[in-house]
Amino acid sequence: MKSAKEHRAEFVFKYIFLIPAIIVIFAVVIYPFIYNIILSLSNMSMTHFRDWRIIGFGQYLKVFSEKDFYTVLGKTIIWTVVNVFFHVVIGVFLAVLLNRHLPGKGIIRTLMIIPWAMPQYITALTWRGMFNYEFGAINLILSKFLHMPMVQWLKDPFFAFTACIMTNVWLGFPFMMIIAYGGLQAIPKELYEAADVDGATGWQKFWKITVPHLKPVMTPAIVLGVIWTFNNLNVIWLVSNGGEPSDKTHILVSYVYKAAFNLYRYGYAAALSMVIFAILLAFGISFIKRTRATESIY
Amino acid sequence: MKRIILIASFILMLVIVFISCSGEQKGTTITIWHQMQVEGRAVLDSVCKDYLLKNQGIKINTLYKETEELRTGFQTASLANAGPQIVYGPSDQVGPFSKMEIIMPMETLFDKDSMAKYDTKSLTYFDGHLYQIGDRIGNHLALVYNKKLVPEPPKNSDELIIMGKELTKDIDGDNRIDIYGLVWNFTEPYFFIPFLGGFGGWVMDDKGNPTLNSPSIVEAFKFIVALRDEHKIIPQECDYDMADALFKEGRAGMIINGPWSWAGYAKAGIDMGIARIPFITSTGKWPSPMYSPKGYSINSNVKSDILPDVVKLIYYLTSPAVELEFTKVMGTIPSRKEAQENSLVKDNPLITSSKYQLDVCRPMPVIPELRAIWDAMKPSYQAVLGGTISPEDASKTMQEEALKKIREMNE
Amino acid sequence: MSRKDSKIKLAIIYIFLIIFTLATIYPVIRVISISLRPGDRLLSTSLSIIPEGASFDSYIKLFSDGRFIRWMLNSLLVSIAVTITGVALASTAGYIFSKYRFIGKKAGLTAILTTQMFPATMLLLPMYIMISKLGLINSYIGLIFVYSATALPFCIWQMKGYYDTIPRTLHEAAIIDGCSHFQAFTKIILPLATPALVITALFSFMAAWSEYIVAAQILQEQEMFTLPLGLKQFQANMTTEWGLYSAGSVIVSIPVVVLFIILSRWLVSGLTLGSVKE
Repeated sequence: MKSAKEHRAEFVFKYIFLIPAIIVIFAVVIYPFIYNIILSLSNMSMTHFRDWRIIGFGQYLKVFSEKDFYTVLGKTIIWTVVNVFFHVVIGVFLAVLLNRHLPGKGIIRTLMIIPWAMPQYITALTWRGMFNYEFGAINLILSKFLHMPMVQWLKDPFFAFTACIMTNVWLGFPFMMIIAYGGLQAIPKELYEAADVDGATGWQKFWKITVPHLKPVMTPAIVLGVIWTFNNLNVIWLVSNGGEPSDKTHILVSYVYKAAFNLYRYGYAAALSMVIFAILLAFGISFIKRTRATESIY
Repeated sequence: MKRIILIASFILMLVIVFISCSGEQKGTTITIWHQMQVEGRAVLDSVCKDYLLKNQGIKINTLYKETEELRTGFQTASLANAGPQIVYGPSDQVGPFSKMEIIMPMETLFDKDSMAKYDTKSLTYFDGHLYQIGDRIGNHLALVYNKKLVPEPPKNSDELIIMGKELTKDIDGDNRIDIYGLVWNFTEPYFFIPFLGGFGGWVMDDKGNPTLNSPSIVEAFKFIVALRDEHKIIPQECDYDMADALFKEGRAGMIINGPWSWAGYAKAGIDMGIARIPFITSTGKWPSPMYSPKGYSINSNVKSDILPDVVKLIYYLTSPAVELEFTKVMGTIPSRKEAQENSLVKDNPLITSSKYQLDVCRPMPVIPELRAIWDAMKPSYQAVLGGTISPEDASKTMQEEALKKIREMNE
Repeated sequence: MSRKDSKIKLAIIYIFLIIFTLATIYPVIRVISISLRPGDRLLSTSLSIIPEGASFDSYIKLFSDGRFIRWMLNSLLVSIAVTITGVALASTAGYIFSKYRFIGKKAGLTAILTTQMFPATMLLLPMYIMISKLGLINSYIGLIFVYSATALPFCIWQMKGYYDTIPRTLHEAAIIDGCSHFQAFTKIILPLATPALVITALFSFMAAWSEYIVAAQILQEQEMFTLPLGLKQFQANMTTEWGLYSAGSVIVSIPVVVLFIILSRWLVSGLTLGSVKE
């Protein structure tokens, strides 16, 4: 058993390593968070910009009684699930492909990271240009090389949404690929060799060895991927030019932005933000519990 | 390894602290936030430098922010009791800013004689108070035509359609249209407004109530849709950048765009002319784009000790000499009556045509409710273009949405 | 890898990867086209990669504008600071979360993630007020602090996840053998976690290098601008200088790619670097 001195040394070590990070993370967020809680209970708006008061849960009632809230929430969930699904599947797939002796894989890997490296603003707008009905690259390839009908990408609500998803998948898969690749490095080769000796198929090796080992590494990426995608205002705004057609490609955070900056309804925007936070919190907690990501695999 | 990291980070922190202590500014610093285009920025900086030569003891710091960001950034900064002393932008920011009390009334700061020297169109009032002094007026849409393809601009909408049909063709036989008669960002409500006026309607009445459920707007919708589907002189899908690209490539006879873009077309080598958007044959009315002045407002946080300096600077920045510097570089119409008489303005054909269009333009409302109206118009208008609802239904829906958003805004 | 793949399998993999890579790169090539195209045109009706009248004018203009170099140096300063902070704090905190027990560990881990859940739009205003009151407007300290706070949650989890794959027995053996906790950390565990360190470094760097919104709030003078802010100077609602903007975007991507190439060397199994047979 440890002596008192050893206990003390461990105690000091633990907290020296832990505390700085905790302070940095929470110091930045605590005040804004509390501020928003207060704002969400207030009536701050254009007419009550400097002289706002607490009014209770009125803003929350407005959030939930807004008829568009539920459809937009649904769209946001679809947006998030589809995006993260493709990010992870493509990322892991590529990582597995690259995780072998493959001359030139360094170049391929580096090229694949460029979507992540280049500023989103211009790549998103470039994608928007590629979706143009008459002159965009996508339709030109569809019609000239694949002899398929051209698609009204940006005019049709469904296709506009798809266009946004495609752009975001392009932007997001490199991240998952790198994480997965890093995670694959931690898997001892001997496990695969032993499985080969036992006659396991590639599929079995993947599910019984690769996936469990990737879990602790991919779980934070997935949780954060979900959170960031859910709250990603930029990409949709840029590709669909602010919700076109007809505001049908909005997700919840666009509503926060419009409420705060176009209609000056700060109290409402704060309440909506709190609701978004609550949704993501519920997701986060349940996901972490179910994957038991806070525990180790050994 | 860790020790090296620790030492390196310590040194780095020291360097950062050293660099980032940008030092206390001695004397008064006046900060101007603006959204001027690149050419204008150069002019602004040079006239500010000139000002500093004659006025030691103050510093001027200019910061460019893109229009949307300027608005949202100013709101945020003001709430924190910070922000620039002067903010420059289009007049529609006056409404919300003044309602939120983040800019101050200016009529007491300038005497009546000075005020009389400005074109009335350039002074923006709200709720009875002066909130912005403009240094230029305009910002309005006009018809820009490529003289090579369109030697003479059309005078009315029938001519426009005939000319458009002649021009719009598939040259290389690949079943795609190579040249369009007319292109413009027609899916954006702001770019649709001129035609609303051309059919006798408008976004709001004198009291600021939205007037979107009118027969005029239905007619205007039908007109635009006809241009695309019946006469086929505009592309199926055309946003701002696409219209811009097509016109610069010489693939469009005409474009509807504002003064901010004209220099770019000249630079792209297009031999261009400016004309009034042709009047609507069936109504005899000229389409009425919105015009707005752009000018300077004062942050309500400004303390009384530097207020005189701020006022003096604004008066300088809107003096005829300075305004004409901008005109030289950007072809803008100055706000000072004296400057408008100058030959730079009177003898420039582009400016004269621009003024000709300006004569039939209507002022952009500055009340905050306009934002609610834009937000209400856009989805329904685009639904009409997409063919998912009828123009009549769109008009009704827009009106309801506008009223709803205005109500929410004013809670 | 000692497992040999069949030649056919390799060929299929190559073909797939090449097609995929080309599709991935295509939009980027278009951005390069924009930077070579004269006349500030974002879109073009032609599909050609080298546009008509292509020139390096935008790049020349970009570099002869003294501000761009300044912005790049500023960004490098901030990003490197954030990277060092991120790696230092995440590698240590993640380690504790992985190998030690303490009260509130599980809650703490989840709580760290929750800091990312709140929509950024509404965080800006109070953050600005806070930074303003602390007198950190227009300084890099505030910026570095905020960026680190943004990057750390992911990095801590990432490090922890990776540490989790290193058996506890290793750690315990080291302690029994007489190492202090610190030595066990630096000499035994850390070298095995190099892939995670690479990801942490890359992510922290990116968090600072490409961030715009917070920088726009905090930095008020052009000389202090970081690259994203600087690039925004070329952008306007309807009159963006696309040539400069895209050239800038291309240049801005290069350091990230270079960093990745450098760090990739360590993106290999730590297990092959040391003597860690069970």
